[in-house]
Amino acid sequence: MENPIIIPSILVSATASKLRSLFFVTALLLSGGSAFSADRVYQKPSDFIRGSLGKIPATKAITLNATQQKTVRAILGKRYKTTSIRYWSVGKKTALILEEVGKAEYITTGYVVSEGKISTVKVLVYRETHGWEVARPAFTKQLEGTQLKGGNQLSRPVKNIAGATLSVRALTKLARLALYLDSIK
Amino acid sequence: MTEPTPKIRRRNARNWHRWLGLVAAIPLLWLSISGLLLNHTAFLGLNEAEVSTGWILKKYNQVPEGDPRGIQVGDRKVSQWGKLLFLDHEDLQLNGNLVGGVAVKNRLVIATDERVAIVNGSGEMELDLDELSLPPLPVEGVGVEGQQLVLRSAGGTYRFSDDFLSFKEAEILLSTTSLSLLEDRARDELESAIRTRNAMPLSRVILDAHSGKIFGFPGTLLTDLAAISVIVLTILGLRLFPKRKL
Repeated sequence: MENPIIIPSILVSATASKLRSLFFVTALLLSGGSAFSADRVYQKPSDFIRGSLGKIPATKAITLNATQQKTVRAILGKRYKTTSIRYWSVGKKTALILEEVGKAEYITTGYVVSEGKISTVKVLVYRETHGWEVARPAFTKQLEGTQLKGGNQLSRPVKNIAGATLSVRALTKLARLALYLDSIK
Repeated sequence: MTEPTPKIRRRNARNWHRWLGLVAAIPLLWLSISGLLLNHTAFLGLNEAEVSTGWILKKYNQVPEGDPRGIQVGDRKVSQWGKLLFLDHEDLQLNGNLVGGVAVKNRLVIATDERVAIVNGSGEMELDLDELSLPPLPVEGVGVEGQQLVLRSAGGTYRFSDDFLSFKEAEILLSTTSLSLLEDRARDELESAIRTRNAMPLSRVILDAHSGKIFGFPGTLLTDLAAISVIVLTILGLRLFPKRKL
């Protein structure tokens, strides 16, 4: 018979080790924690305006009347967070900083509209935990060059990103809103 | 050192299988039950059922930590609790730490250190001003001078135009009101309003409990360990499966 003492000691040690692991896992579990917050700041709004327009011009605002608010509601599916929306203009270029909720948090996005077409789109602050892929140029480039057609829809469809559907929808709605606001400013 | 005999190896495997099975039993039972529930959320009405329990909502950052502070402006109460801001009992979609609030020409102006909100008499936010339309941040004080908004910030004191879209530096001695702790009754009313409004769908809570995310990293780790346990138990079970030679 081979060393009969070794095996029980291994078993005892293994059992103690398993109990220790169980204790630590339980302690870790009870210590709690949250995995539901994340802010990604890609660019400050002022840097976006300065970069897009060459300077920061005086702030102007569109105050939406009842008819315009109705159209905005049709585009977004709800009211915009403010009843007046700021914009900045230089020549034919108009820059807007717009915010819309993806799933639970606001996504801050910069749009530049020139002659009825979107010329620049940039996600400035992304606060959701999932779906930040919409900030990649591969996605935002799709929106550039689009314009409004009938029913305040974009002139061409936007491809979805799996796992970021709500963020894609938010940015697409904001693109439509930017083009609409440019048309009424 | 000599190799253990097949009999000893078998006994080791059986012991590991037994103990690992015992340790992993509760997590695996939970994963199985929650998995079954998630497969039938619509049938069981779990999307409509809501959870408003305090500690669960805190995990989703829906009920803030710490003590709420606020300021009374006319008949409106502006308060901050954790990172969240409230106008009376409603959420105020504004970033930053509350600095103060004043009434200017039938409007309520609420200032944080990084934003200023202009709210009309119906409670709608008219403007949300950020660094693009504000003096150098952080905003340190808010007040009124001759029916015009005045802000004190890192760069000095500034008087705003009537449309709140432009400002000029001004020599004004600004008197501001500081924030005070909410009384127990006001705090309870605010917490109750938050719980009712921010209740989470039961299906979402079960999903996050299933994946372990609701408990943060420890929860995810426990779920991973339970999954690894299944793999190890399967391997040990297969080793034990052949019939013992008599």
